[in-house]
Amino acid sequence: MPVDDDTFEKLRVELRRGSLVLAVLGALREERYGYTLRQSLEDAGLLIDEGALYPLLRRLESQRLLISEWREEAKRTKRFYRLSVDGTDTLAALLHEWNAISESILRLTEKDK
Amino acid sequence: MDLIDRYLAAIARRLPAENAGDIVAEIRDDLLTRQEVREDALGRPLNRKEVAALIKDVGHPLIVASRYRPQQYLIGPDAFPFFVATLRIVAMVVALAFVVTAASSVVFGHADIAHALGRAMSNLFSSAMLAFGTVAAVFYALERTGFPAEHLAKWRPQDLPEVKDKQPNVWGSAFEVAVGVYFILWWCGLVPFPTYYGNVKGLILAPDPIWAAVWWPVLALMVARLIYNIVQWLRPRWKMVLAVLSVGTAAGGLGLAYVIYQAGHWLTASGTLPADQLADIDHGVNLGIHWAIVVVGAILVLQGLQEVWRLATSRPGVVGVKAI
Repeated sequence: MPVDDDTFEKLRVELRRGSLVLAVLGALREERYGYTLRQSLEDAGLLIDEGALYPLLRRLESQRLLISEWREEAKRTKRFYRLSVDGTDTLAALLHEWNAISESILRLTEKDK
Repeated sequence: MDLIDRYLAAIARRLPAENAGDIVAEIRDDLLTRQEVREDALGRPLNRKEVAALIKDVGHPLIVASRYRPQQYLIGPDAFPFFVATLRIVAMVVALAFVVTAASSVVFGHADIAHALGRAMSNLFSSAMLAFGTVAAVFYALERTGFPAEHLAKWRPQDLPEVKDKQPNVWGSAFEVAVGVYFILWWCGLVPFPTYYGNVKGLILAPDPIWAAVWWPVLALMVARLIYNIVQWLRPRWKMVLAVLSVGTAAGGLGLAYVIYQAGHWLTASGTLPADQLADIDHGVNLGIHWAIVVVGAILVLQGLQEVWRLATSRPGVVGVKAI
Protein backbone atom coordinates (compact mmCIF):
# COMPACT_ATOMS: atom_id res chain seq x y z
CA MET A 1 0.00 0.00 0.00
CA PRO A 2 1.48 3.40 -0.99
CA VAL A 3 0.31 5.23 2.18
CA ASP A 4 0.13 4.26 5.83
CA ASP A 5 -2.92 2.48 7.22
CA ASP A 6 -4.17 5.53 9.08
CA THR A 7 -4.21 7.71 5.98
CA PHE A 8 -5.91 4.97 3.97
CA GLU A 9 -8.53 4.50 6.69
CA LYS A 10 -9.32 8.24 6.70
CA LEU A 11 -9.69 8.25 2.91
CA ARG A 12 -11.84 5.13 3.01
CA VAL A 13 -14.16 6.60 5.67
CA GLU A 14 -14.43 9.83 3.65
CA LEU A 15 -15.28 7.88 0.51
CA ARG A 16 -17.90 5.77 2.24
CA ARG A 17 -19.49 8.65 4.11
CA GLY A 18 -20.75 10.19 0.91
CA SER A 19 -22.24 6.95 -0.32
CA LEU A 20 -23.97 6.09 2.95
CA VAL A 21 -26.95 8.38 2.34
CA LEU A 22 -27.46 6.71 -1.02
CA ALA A 23 -27.29 3.28 0.58
CA VAL A 24 -29.78 4.22 3.33
CA LEU A 25 -32.22 5.73 0.84
CA GLY A 26 -31.84 2.67 -1.38
CA ALA A 27 -32.45 0.26 1.50
CA LEU A 28 -35.54 2.17 2.61
CA ARG A 29 -37.41 1.60 -0.61
CA GLU A 30 -38.64 -1.21 1.63
CA GLU A 31 -39.97 -0.25 5.06
CA ARG A 32 -37.56 -1.02 7.89
CA TYR A 33 -36.79 0.00 11.46
CA GLY A 34 -33.33 0.97 12.66
CA TYR A 35 -32.01 -2.46 13.62
CA THR A 36 -33.17 -4.21 10.43
CA LEU A 37 -31.91 -1.32 8.33
CA ARG A 38 -28.45 -1.65 9.82
CA GLN A 39 -28.56 -5.38 9.29
CA SER A 40 -29.42 -4.95 5.62
CA LEU A 41 -26.59 -2.45 5.21
CA GLU A 42 -24.14 -4.79 6.93
CA ASP A 43 -25.32 -7.71 4.82
CA ALA A 44 -24.58 -5.59 1.77
CA GLY A 45 -21.08 -4.92 3.12
CA LEU A 46 -21.70 -1.38 4.40
CA LEU A 47 -20.84 -0.95 8.08
CA ILE A 48 -22.26 2.11 9.78
CA ASP A 49 -21.15 3.67 13.04
CA GLU A 50 -23.58 2.56 15.76
CA GLY A 51 -24.40 6.07 16.91
CA ALA A 52 -24.58 7.63 13.47
CA LEU A 53 -27.53 5.81 11.89
CA TYR A 54 -30.44 7.28 13.86
CA PRO A 55 -29.30 10.92 13.60
CA LEU A 56 -28.89 10.35 9.85
CA LEU A 57 -32.43 8.95 9.63
CA ARG A 58 -33.75 12.00 11.52
CA ARG A 59 -31.91 14.34 9.22
CA LEU A 60 -33.25 12.63 6.11
CA GLU A 61 -36.73 12.74 7.58
CA SER A 62 -36.41 16.47 8.34
CA GLN A 63 -35.37 16.89 4.69
CA ARG A 64 -38.66 15.14 3.76
CA LEU A 65 -36.84 12.28 2.05
CA LEU A 66 -38.16 9.75 4.56
CA ILE A 67 -41.39 9.24 6.47
CA SER A 68 -41.64 7.36 9.72
CA GLU A 69 -44.22 5.96 12.09
CA TRP A 70 -44.19 4.26 15.48
CA ARG A 71 -45.77 0.81 15.33
CA GLU A 72 -45.82 -2.22 17.57
CA GLU A 73 -43.90 -5.29 16.49
CA ALA A 74 -42.62 -8.23 18.52
CA LYS A 75 -44.21 -6.80 21.67
CA ARG A 76 -42.32 -3.52 21.36
CA THR A 77 -43.03 -0.20 19.73
CA LYS A 78 -40.61 0.50 16.91
CA ARG A 79 -40.10 3.38 14.57
CA PHE A 80 -40.44 2.30 10.96
CA TYR A 81 -38.92 4.31 8.13
CA ARG A 82 -39.61 4.30 4.41
CA LEU A 83 -38.84 6.45 1.42
CA SER A 84 -41.20 9.38 0.78
CA VAL A 85 -42.27 10.48 -2.71
CA ASP A 86 -39.62 13.20 -2.62
CA GLY A 87 -37.14 10.62 -1.37
CA THR A 88 -37.91 8.32 -4.31
CA ASP A 89 -37.26 11.14 -6.79
CA THR A 90 -34.11 12.20 -4.98
CA LEU A 91 -32.83 8.62 -4.86
CA ALA A 92 -33.32 8.29 -8.63
CA ALA A 93 -31.44 11.54 -9.24
CA LEU A 94 -28.65 10.55 -6.85
CA LEU A 95 -28.32 7.12 -8.43
CA HIS A 96 -27.99 8.78 -11.82
CA GLU A 97 -25.25 10.99 -10.38
CA TRP A 98 -23.59 8.01 -8.72
CA ASN A 99 -23.52 6.04 -11.97
CA ALA A 100 -22.09 9.01 -13.85
CA ILE A 101 -19.33 9.42 -11.25
CA SER A 102 -18.64 5.70 -11.28
CA GLU A 103 -18.35 5.65 -15.08
CA SER A 104 -16.04 8.67 -14.99
CA ILE A 105 -13.79 7.05 -12.41
CA LEU A 106 -13.73 3.86 -14.42
CA ARG A 107 -12.79 5.75 -17.57
CA LEU A 108 -10.05 7.64 -15.74
CA THR A 109 -8.60 4.51 -14.14
CA GLU A 110 -9.11 2.13 -17.04
CA LYS A 111 -5.41 1.77 -17.66
CA ASP A 112 -4.93 0.65 -14.02
CA LYS A 113 -7.20 -2.37 -14.50
CA MET B 1 -31.88 -2.57 32.33
CA ASP B 2 -30.24 -0.47 34.99
CA LEU B 3 -27.23 0.32 32.81
CA ILE B 4 -29.36 0.96 29.74
CA ASP B 5 -31.65 3.30 31.70
CA ARG B 6 -28.70 5.21 33.10
CA TYR B 7 -27.20 5.48 29.62
CA LEU B 8 -30.44 6.70 28.07
CA ALA B 9 -30.98 9.21 30.89
CA ALA B 10 -27.47 10.58 30.27
CA ILE B 11 -28.30 11.06 26.59
CA ALA B 12 -31.74 12.57 27.32
CA ARG B 13 -30.20 15.20 29.61
CA ARG B 14 -28.22 16.53 26.62
CA LEU B 15 -31.05 16.58 24.12
CA PRO B 16 -33.58 19.32 23.39
CA ALA B 17 -36.57 18.66 25.66
CA GLU B 18 -39.13 18.70 22.84
CA ASN B 19 -37.82 15.56 21.13
CA ALA B 20 -35.69 13.89 23.81
CA GLY B 21 -38.37 11.30 24.59
CA ASP B 22 -38.77 10.29 20.98
CA ILE B 23 -35.03 9.98 20.34
CA VAL B 24 -34.38 8.06 23.53
CA ALA B 25 -37.26 5.65 22.83
CA GLU B 26 -35.71 4.78 19.50
CA ILE B 27 -32.24 4.21 20.97
CA ARG B 28 -33.81 2.11 23.75
CA ASP B 29 -35.57 -0.10 21.22
CA ASP B 30 -32.36 -0.52 19.25
CA LEU B 31 -30.35 -1.47 22.34
CA LEU B 32 -33.00 -3.93 23.56
CA THR B 33 -33.31 -5.51 20.11
CA ARG B 34 -29.57 -5.99 19.93
CA GLN B 35 -29.53 -7.38 23.44
CA GLU B 36 -32.24 -9.90 22.51
CA VAL B 37 -30.47 -10.94 19.31
CA ARG B 38 -27.26 -11.48 21.23
CA GLU B 39 -29.01 -13.43 24.00
CA ASP B 40 -30.73 -15.63 21.40
CA ALA B 41 -27.35 -16.36 19.83
CA LEU B 42 -25.75 -17.23 23.19
CA GLY B 43 -28.81 -19.02 24.58
CA ARG B 44 -28.54 -17.14 27.89
CA PRO B 45 -29.11 -13.66 29.34
CA LEU B 46 -26.27 -11.15 28.92
CA ASN B 47 -24.29 -10.34 32.03
CA ARG B 48 -23.62 -6.77 33.18
CA LYS B 49 -20.24 -6.61 31.47
CA GLU B 50 -21.69 -7.71 28.14
CA VAL B 51 -24.51 -5.16 28.38
CA ALA B 52 -21.91 -2.48 29.11
CA ALA B 53 -19.98 -3.52 25.98
CA LEU B 54 -23.17 -3.30 23.95
CA ILE B 55 -23.84 0.22 25.23
CA LYS B 56 -20.26 1.28 24.64
CA ASP B 57 -20.59 0.33 20.99
CA VAL B 58 -23.26 3.02 20.56
CA GLY B 59 -20.93 5.72 21.89
CA HIS B 60 -20.43 8.25 24.68
CA PRO B 61 -23.73 9.95 25.67
CA LEU B 62 -22.28 13.37 24.86
CA ILE B 63 -21.28 12.29 21.34
CA VAL B 64 -24.55 10.48 20.69
CA ALA B 65 -26.62 13.47 21.85
CA SER B 66 -24.48 15.93 19.87
CA ARG B 67 -25.25 14.05 16.65
CA TYR B 68 -28.88 15.06 16.96
CA ARG B 69 -28.02 18.73 17.02
CA PRO B 70 -28.04 20.62 13.72
CA GLN B 71 -24.64 22.26 14.27
CA GLN B 72 -21.86 20.40 16.02
CA TYR B 73 -19.09 22.94 15.74
CA LEU B 74 -18.34 26.39 17.10
CA ILE B 75 -16.65 27.71 13.98
CA GLY B 76 -17.10 25.76 10.76
CA PRO B 77 -14.53 24.97 8.07
CA ASP B 78 -15.59 27.92 5.87
CA ALA B 79 -15.16 30.50 8.63
CA PHE B 80 -12.12 28.88 10.24
CA PRO B 81 -9.45 30.40 7.95
CA PHE B 82 -10.96 33.86 8.55
CA PHE B 83 -11.04 33.13 12.28
CA VAL B 84 -7.36 32.15 12.34
CA ALA B 85 -6.36 35.18 10.23
CA THR B 86 -8.31 37.53 12.51
CA LEU B 87 -6.91 35.89 15.60
CA ARG B 88 -3.36 36.30 14.28
CA ILE B 89 -3.96 40.01 13.66
CA VAL B 90 -5.55 40.56 17.08
CA ALA B 91 -2.78 38.58 18.81
CA MET B 92 -0.10 40.68 17.11
CA VAL B 93 -1.82 43.95 18.01
CA VAL B 94 -2.34 42.86 21.63
CA ALA B 95 1.27 41.64 21.95
CA LEU B 96 2.71 44.81 20.43
CA ALA B 97 0.43 47.05 22.49
CA PHE B 98 1.92 45.40 25.57
CA VAL B 99 5.44 45.80 24.27
CA VAL B 100 4.77 49.51 23.68
CA THR B 101 3.21 49.88 27.14
CA ALA B 102 6.07 48.07 28.87
CA ALA B 103 8.69 49.94 26.84
CA SER B 104 7.10 53.31 27.54
CA SER B 105 6.96 52.71 31.27
CA VAL B 106 10.66 51.76 31.22
CA VAL B 107 11.77 54.57 28.88
CA PHE B 108 9.78 57.26 30.65
CA GLY B 109 10.98 56.17 34.04
CA HIS B 110 7.91 54.53 35.56
CA ALA B 111 9.48 51.18 36.27
CA ASP B 112 12.56 49.04 35.91
CA ILE B 113 12.70 46.45 33.11
CA ALA B 114 11.94 43.41 35.32
CA HIS B 115 8.97 45.13 36.96
CA ALA B 116 7.59 46.39 33.65
CA LEU B 117 8.02 42.97 32.01
CA GLY B 118 6.38 41.17 34.93
CA ARG B 119 3.41 43.48 34.91
CA ALA B 120 3.08 43.30 31.13
CA MET B 121 3.23 39.48 31.13
CA SER B 122 0.55 39.13 33.79
CA ASN B 123 -1.75 41.54 31.95
CA LEU B 124 -0.87 40.03 28.58
CA PHE B 125 -2.25 36.61 29.48
CA SER B 126 -5.65 37.89 30.61
CA SER B 127 -5.86 40.31 27.68
CA ALA B 128 -4.92 37.57 25.20
CA MET B 129 -7.59 35.28 26.66
CA LEU B 130 -10.15 38.08 26.50
CA ALA B 131 -9.19 38.86 22.89
CA PHE B 132 -9.38 35.17 21.95
CA GLY B 133 -12.79 34.82 23.61
CA THR B 134 -14.11 37.96 21.94
CA VAL B 135 -12.94 36.91 18.47
CA ALA B 136 -14.36 33.40 18.99
CA ALA B 137 -17.71 34.85 20.16
CA VAL B 138 -17.87 37.19 17.15
CA PHE B 139 -17.14 34.31 14.75
CA TYR B 140 -19.63 32.08 16.54
CA ALA B 141 -22.28 34.73 15.86
CA LEU B 142 -21.09 35.27 12.26
CA GLU B 143 -21.14 31.53 11.61
CA ARG B 144 -24.81 31.45 12.53
CA THR B 145 -25.75 34.45 10.39
CA GLY B 146 -24.34 32.99 7.18
CA PHE B 147 -21.23 35.19 7.05
CA PRO B 148 -18.73 32.72 5.52
CA ALA B 149 -20.99 31.66 2.65
CA GLU B 150 -21.98 35.28 1.99
CA HIS B 151 -18.40 36.53 2.14
CA LEU B 152 -17.08 33.73 -0.04
CA ALA B 153 -19.78 34.43 -2.62
CA LYS B 154 -19.03 38.17 -2.67
CA TRP B 155 -15.25 38.26 -2.90
CA ARG B 156 -13.82 39.54 -6.16
CA PRO B 157 -10.51 38.51 -7.72
CA GLN B 158 -10.24 42.14 -8.90
CA ASP B 159 -9.79 43.25 -5.27
CA LEU B 160 -6.64 41.17 -4.78
CA PRO B 161 -3.38 43.17 -4.58
CA GLU B 162 -1.43 43.48 -7.78
CA VAL B 163 1.69 41.37 -8.05
CA LYS B 164 3.87 44.47 -8.31
CA ASP B 165 2.17 46.10 -5.29
CA LYS B 166 4.42 46.51 -2.33
CA GLN B 167 3.16 43.99 0.20
CA PRO B 168 2.72 45.50 3.63
CA ASN B 169 5.16 44.43 6.29
CA VAL B 170 2.97 42.49 8.71
CA TRP B 171 4.92 43.27 11.87
CA GLY B 172 5.49 46.86 10.83
CA SER B 173 1.78 47.35 10.19
CA ALA B 174 0.85 45.62 13.43
CA PHE B 175 3.31 47.86 15.27
CA GLU B 176 1.78 51.01 13.76
CA VAL B 177 -1.71 49.82 14.67
CA ALA B 178 -0.60 48.94 18.21
CA VAL B 179 1.05 52.36 18.66
CA GLY B 180 -2.08 54.02 17.27
CA VAL B 181 -4.32 52.12 19.69
CA TYR B 182 -1.99 52.93 22.58
CA PHE B 183 -1.89 56.64 21.68
CA ILE B 184 -5.69 56.84 21.49
CA LEU B 185 -6.03 55.06 24.83
CA TRP B 186 -3.46 57.41 26.35
CA TRP B 187 -5.13 60.48 24.84
CA CYS B 188 -8.46 59.34 26.32
CA GLY B 189 -6.82 58.86 29.71
CA LEU B 190 -7.25 55.09 29.73
CA VAL B 191 -3.54 54.34 30.07
CA PRO B 192 -1.08 56.35 32.20
CA PHE B 193 0.67 59.43 30.86
CA PRO B 194 4.30 58.52 30.09
CA THR B 195 6.13 61.26 32.02
CA TYR B 196 9.87 61.54 31.62
CA TYR B 197 9.98 64.10 34.44
CA GLY B 198 8.06 61.83 36.85
CA ASN B 199 11.15 61.34 38.98
CA VAL B 200 12.00 65.03 39.27
CA LYS B 201 10.81 66.08 42.70
CA GLY B 202 9.05 69.40 42.97
CA LEU B 203 8.32 69.73 39.25
CA ILE B 204 4.85 69.80 37.71
CA LEU B 205 4.39 70.20 33.99
CA ALA B 206 0.81 71.17 33.25
CA PRO B 207 -0.64 71.23 29.73
CA ASP B 208 -1.80 74.64 28.51
CA PRO B 209 -5.45 75.28 27.51
CA ILE B 210 -4.57 74.78 23.82
CA TRP B 211 -4.50 70.99 24.39
CA ALA B 212 -8.06 70.99 25.78
CA ALA B 213 -9.17 73.07 22.79
CA VAL B 214 -7.74 70.58 20.27
CA TRP B 215 -8.68 67.41 22.18
CA TRP B 216 -11.43 66.28 19.80
CA PRO B 217 -9.60 67.18 16.57
CA VAL B 218 -6.50 65.29 17.76
CA LEU B 219 -8.63 62.26 18.67
CA ALA B 220 -10.35 62.36 15.27
CA LEU B 221 -6.99 62.61 13.53
CA MET B 222 -5.55 59.66 15.46
CA VAL B 223 -8.62 57.52 14.75
CA ALA B 224 -8.38 58.39 11.04
CA ARG B 225 -4.68 57.51 11.09
CA LEU B 226 -5.45 54.22 12.84
CA ILE B 227 -8.03 53.40 10.16
CA TYR B 228 -5.42 54.25 7.51
CA ASN B 229 -2.89 51.87 9.11
CA ILE B 230 -5.46 49.08 9.41
CA VAL B 231 -6.55 49.49 5.78
CA GLN B 232 -2.93 49.60 4.60
CA TRP B 233 -2.25 46.40 6.50
CA LEU B 234 -5.36 44.41 5.67
CA ARG B 235 -6.67 45.93 2.43
CA PRO B 236 -3.65 47.33 0.55
CA ARG B 237 -5.67 47.16 -2.66
CA TRP B 238 -8.01 49.93 -1.48
CA LYS B 239 -5.73 52.56 -2.93
CA MET B 240 -8.31 55.31 -3.24
CA VAL B 241 -9.34 54.89 0.38
CA LEU B 242 -5.69 54.93 1.41
CA ALA B 243 -4.92 57.99 -0.72
CA VAL B 244 -7.90 59.92 0.67
CA LEU B 245 -7.03 58.96 4.24
CA SER B 246 -3.37 59.76 3.73
CA VAL B 247 -3.97 63.18 2.17
CA GLY B 248 -6.81 63.87 4.62
CA THR B 249 -4.78 63.02 7.70
CA ALA B 250 -1.75 64.91 6.37
CA ALA B 251 -3.88 68.01 5.69
CA GLY B 252 -5.72 67.66 9.01
CA GLY B 253 -2.46 67.12 10.84
CA LEU B 254 -0.91 70.16 9.17
CA GLY B 255 -3.89 72.31 10.13
CA LEU B 256 -3.77 71.07 13.68
CA ALA B 257 -0.02 71.58 13.88
CA TYR B 258 -0.55 75.17 12.72
CA VAL B 259 -3.28 75.80 15.33
CA ILE B 260 -1.15 74.27 18.08
CA TYR B 261 1.92 76.16 16.87
CA GLN B 262 0.01 79.44 17.02
CA ALA B 263 -0.51 78.98 20.76
CA GLY B 264 3.21 79.68 21.26
CA HIS B 265 3.30 78.02 24.68
CA TRP B 266 2.21 74.44 25.36
CA LEU B 267 3.33 73.31 28.79
CA THR B 268 3.76 75.30 31.99
CA ALA B 269 6.36 74.30 34.54
CA SER B 270 5.51 74.88 38.18
CA GLY B 271 6.30 73.37 41.57
CA THR B 272 8.62 73.83 44.48
CA LEU B 273 11.86 74.14 42.49
CA PRO B 274 13.63 77.52 42.49
CA ALA B 275 11.91 80.02 40.18
CA ASP B 276 14.88 80.44 37.83
CA GLN B 277 15.18 76.67 37.43
CA LEU B 278 11.45 76.43 36.72
CA ALA B 279 11.76 79.19 34.12
CA ASP B 280 14.65 77.36 32.43
CA ILE B 281 12.70 74.12 32.32
CA ASP B 282 9.60 75.93 31.02
CA HIS B 283 11.66 77.59 28.28
CA GLY B 284 13.51 74.38 27.34
CA VAL B 285 10.41 72.21 27.20
CA ASN B 286 8.47 74.70 25.09
CA LEU B 287 11.41 75.23 22.78
CA GLY B 288 11.54 71.47 22.24
CA ILE B 289 7.82 71.39 21.48
CA HIS B 290 8.25 74.36 19.14
CA TRP B 291 10.79 72.46 17.02
CA ALA B 292 8.86 69.20 17.27
CA ILE B 293 5.80 70.92 15.77
CA VAL B 294 7.95 72.40 12.99
CA VAL B 295 9.43 68.98 12.17
CA VAL B 296 6.02 67.26 12.29
CA GLY B 297 4.60 69.96 10.02
CA ALA B 298 7.41 69.47 7.51
CA ILE B 299 6.92 65.70 7.52
CA LEU B 300 3.18 66.14 6.98
CA VAL B 301 3.76 68.51 4.05
CA LEU B 302 6.13 65.99 2.43
CA GLN B 303 3.75 63.13 3.07
CA GLY B 304 0.81 65.02 1.56
CA LEU B 305 2.84 66.08 -1.49
CA GLN B 306 4.07 62.52 -2.00
CA GLU B 307 0.50 61.19 -1.91
CA VAL B 308 -0.81 63.89 -4.26
CA TRP B 309 2.08 63.10 -6.64
CA ARG B 310 1.28 59.38 -6.49
CA LEU B 311 -2.39 60.10 -7.20
CA ALA B 312 -1.56 62.39 -10.11
CA THR B 313 0.87 59.97 -11.74
CA SER B 314 -0.95 56.68 -11.16
CA ARG B 315 -2.49 54.94 -14.17
CA PRO B 316 -6.26 55.24 -14.50
CA GLY B 317 -7.98 52.11 -13.25
CA VAL B 318 -5.29 51.27 -10.75
CA VAL B 319 -6.23 53.76 -8.08
CA GLY B 320 -9.90 52.97 -7.57
CA VAL B 321 -11.04 50.35 -5.15
CA LYS B 322 -13.33 48.90 -7.76
CA ALA B 323 -10.89 49.13 -10.63
CA ILE B 324 -9.98 45.94 -12.43
